[in-house]
Amino acid sequence: MEWLRGLGRRLGILLRGERFDRDLQEEMRLHIELRQQEHMERGLAAEDAHAATQRKFGNALLLREVSGDVWGWRWLENFAQDLRYGARALLRTPGFTAVAVIALALGIGANTAIFSVVNAVLLRPLEYKDPGRLVTVLRYDADPVAVANYIDYRDQSHSFEAMGAAEYWSPNLSSSDGAEHLIGLRMTQNLLPMLGVGPLLGRVFAAGEDQKGAEHEVVLSYRLWQRRFHRDPNLLGKSIILNGEGFTVIGVMPPEFKFAPFWATRAELWAPLAFGDRIHNRDANSLRVFARLKPGVAVAQARADIAAITGRLERQYPGTNSDILVTPLKENVVGKVETPLLVLLGAAGFVLLIACANVAHMLLARTSDRQKEIAVRTVLGAGRSRIIRQFLTENLLLAATGASAGLLLAMWGTNALVVLSPAKLPRVDMVGIDGRAMLFLVGVTLLTALVFGLAPAMHAAIGNLSGALKEGGRGGTDGIHRSRLRSFLVASEFALAFMLLIGAGLMIRSFSALQSVDPGFNPHNVLSMVVSVAGSNEAEPARRGLFYRQLLEHVRALAGVESAGGINHLPLAGDTWGWAFEIEGRPKPRPGDEPEAVYRIVVPGYFQTMRLPVLRGRAIEESDDARAPGVVMINERAAKEYWPGEDPIGKRIAFDTGATIRLTVIGVVKNAKQEYWAADAHPEAYLAALQNRGFLEIGESSVAYLTLVVRTSGDPAALAAAVKQTVWSFDRNLPISEVHTMDGVVADANAEPRFEMLLLGVFAAIALLLAAVGIYGVMSYAVARRTHEIGIRISLGANRADVLRMVVRQGMVQALAGTVAGVAGALLLARLMAGMLYGVRPTDLLTFGGVAAVLGLAALVATCVPARKATRIDPMVALRHE
Amino acid sequence: MAQRDEIPPGTLYMLILKTLSRQGEMHGYEIANAIQQLSQDVLQVEEGSLYPALQRMLLKGWVTAEWGVTAGNRRARYYRLTALGRKQLAAELSQYERVAAAIARVLQPA
Repeated sequence: MEWLRGLGRRLGILLRGERFDRDLQEEMRLHIELRQQEHMERGLAAEDAHAATQRKFGNALLLREVSGDVWGWRWLENFAQDLRYGARALLRTPGFTAVAVIALALGIGANTAIFSVVNAVLLRPLEYKDPGRLVTVLRYDADPVAVANYIDYRDQSHSFEAMGAAEYWSPNLSSSDGAEHLIGLRMTQNLLPMLGVGPLLGRVFAAGEDQKGAEHEVVLSYRLWQRRFHRDPNLLGKSIILNGEGFTVIGVMPPEFKFAPFWATRAELWAPLAFGDRIHNRDANSLRVFARLKPGVAVAQARADIAAITGRLERQYPGTNSDILVTPLKENVVGKVETPLLVLLGAAGFVLLIACANVAHMLLARTSDRQKEIAVRTVLGAGRSRIIRQFLTENLLLAATGASAGLLLAMWGTNALVVLSPAKLPRVDMVGIDGRAMLFLVGVTLLTALVFGLAPAMHAAIGNLSGALKEGGRGGTDGIHRSRLRSFLVASEFALAFMLLIGAGLMIRSFSALQSVDPGFNPHNVLSMVVSVAGSNEAEPARRGLFYRQLLEHVRALAGVESAGGINHLPLAGDTWGWAFEIEGRPKPRPGDEPEAVYRIVVPGYFQTMRLPVLRGRAIEESDDARAPGVVMINERAAKEYWPGEDPIGKRIAFDTGATIRLTVIGVVKNAKQEYWAADAHPEAYLAALQNRGFLEIGESSVAYLTLVVRTSGDPAALAAAVKQTVWSFDRNLPISEVHTMDGVVADANAEPRFEMLLLGVFAAIALLLAAVGIYGVMSYAVARRTHEIGIRISLGANRADVLRMVVRQGMVQALAGTVAGVAGALLLARLMAGMLYGVRPTDLLTFGGVAAVLGLAALVATCVPARKATRIDPMVALRHE
Repeated sequence: MAQRDEIPPGTLYMLILKTLSRQGEMHGYEIANAIQQLSQDVLQVEEGSLYPALQRMLLKGWVTAEWGVTAGNRRARYYRLTALGRKQLAAELSQYERVAAAIARVLQPA
């Protein structure tokens, strides 16, 4: 406890500040006076008494300092003194200070903003209990698994504490507030307990509640509870209507809870999943499987465990499962964005390094100019360490000012990043300047001050004392090794700027390649929205087809609508389902080798509306209904893959969807983009909605919704309200969701490369500017230092062109050296970026050449200004100036 | 003038504490004088050690200081012993006696 009181007394002294010193002074003055009086009483003359006292008392100022030092605040006093001195020194050169602060603010701000994204997305652990032990068990890392296989993995594996599964679910919620199409999950009972996050209210599912008949319970997300039920605590135990059936609300999850983290990320409610008679199904892959590793079990062990089971199942049920992989959950969440984010963080780091190099050589020039001041201070007794400390404090002040401006920039930048970031960027809602980002900012700032400040400070302290004083601060020619350091700094700036420009250049080339990709359809002036009938009167099989047909007729009749159609899943935005089929008249393929196609269900008008050209045969028409023979359209890729060198029109295929459906190929359409913009199309099959059992019937795999696509003559977004009204004129309770323009869908599909291109572009532009300012500063300084020498050269007969050439050559050599070094770094960076690029090779000559030209031009312009100034030197003035 | 000696190292605190315990409140000059007089001019307190020592004792909480007025109507900082200071004095005295006795034993003629 005593040390605490001691600390309190120490702080008390600190708070007393100036008064502390005045007290000591007064106390000592009294002492001196009393002593003097004593001497005089003993008979000394006033003068002698004074002298004797002073002699004995010694240096009162020093004594006060020594007495004050007892409290241990000397360092703080020195620091405050250095700080005041530094602030004055910086304010004396506002131009330098402004440029340095702006450069540092850009560097520190960019780093903090990107770090706040990296922190939220990559570094922060997933918000479940002990998330490091959570894994997914999926086909090819991310694809779902069939029910019977899941059960085998769950029962036969021994690496896991628990294994659960979830299935996508999108029910319609209807209440007095209207109906809404929601995204949710049905999950095995053990999944929520496995995640280890407890409910905010109520409870989660209990054992046995995922059995058939017991599954009409639901747990709500906080967001849904707030949005639709106004945080009503009495909702627990009550029933809500989902797809026309009652579900009892048993719990509400806390606000920060999200599941699943990498797919169905917008899920807002969770219900138990009962497998029912699906427990033997090995064909329909619909389950995402999650598991918690036993403590101490490595992912590799779990992989071996699962691989052994897969091997057994493969022998028992050939072709029904393969490539099941165990992946850490976090890898599934952030794996795809890791490289781009780290590249961006690295790019921001480069910007900061360039800013540091810039400030460092400005400081070097400044210390050269301050040699005299330093010499004077050394002569007056300042130690070398004190001078270095003074310089470091000044640099710290500079860095801190830069960092404060950088923090503002980062706060603004972080918001901008969140707005600009692709919607698919996981966990982006958690991005913000939190404690960790602040810590990063402080750390980066200190490091920055050290990096840009140490070399000049050392130089300052080691500088030749008597030389500086004698010379009176006007250097003739600069110290060779200081100017070499400066050239090195400028060359590094160019090397780093070159790398950044290559990164940005490759992204721009890649993005323009993406822009010229043909999606197969024409996305302009197309509006789309999902209209669901689940749970409504229109869900009746007899009415469903008729309803959508009538709805589309009404929509087509709207002013400004050119055509309209429908599809189950919109390209680039919706899901892609894969189905295996057989081609009639061919030998039955081995299990697992069946032809497979992306399965789309369309309502007539779709191809015309999307301007997706029918290349051969005909499109699906109104007459292709339940009474007509079954028809199917395929894309070019399917035609090439499954009927090479043949005409697929008229060929018959069979889909197995519970019962076998036989369909005749009636048309081939152009390949349209499916899930990813940059990927080539897979084989695809379009079935007629009015002939489709899944569409026309209620059942497990029923399709109780349709995505309307509407081609408009004007702005498609302007028609959204009218189309919605048309839907609601049939039934006010029909939920409408996912209202998009097709242009917006395409932009979203390209959001990630656009984001990366934009950021790298901004960083590269800053880098280019800083490098140009850097070489300009160094050359201006060199010309100023060499005024005398250039004066002599001119008076000895050098003409202006010679001088110009000399200065420009000196500048360009530095820029060139940096650029050459940059090529090596850029090749490394480009290789790292290979996965982010589309349609451009990492070693793209055009990019490398173009960037070199841009950088060279910037260097030339930045060098020419001081060089021209050098040619205007008047030899007489220059020589007298010395 | 009597011969003056330096105060043995480490005993300055004890001397100040003892002086204060005897006389209650004193300011710096009085402390220096009191030590000098009580030692019959043998021990001389250097101002150069007195004031840092007083500050250190304030920091340790052995003494407190308050501004008061001298007999000559001058402002002066008066030091006063705290309970902690009294404890410290007792500890230093017993340690000093132990050491002095030990030294005496060593120096005793055989």
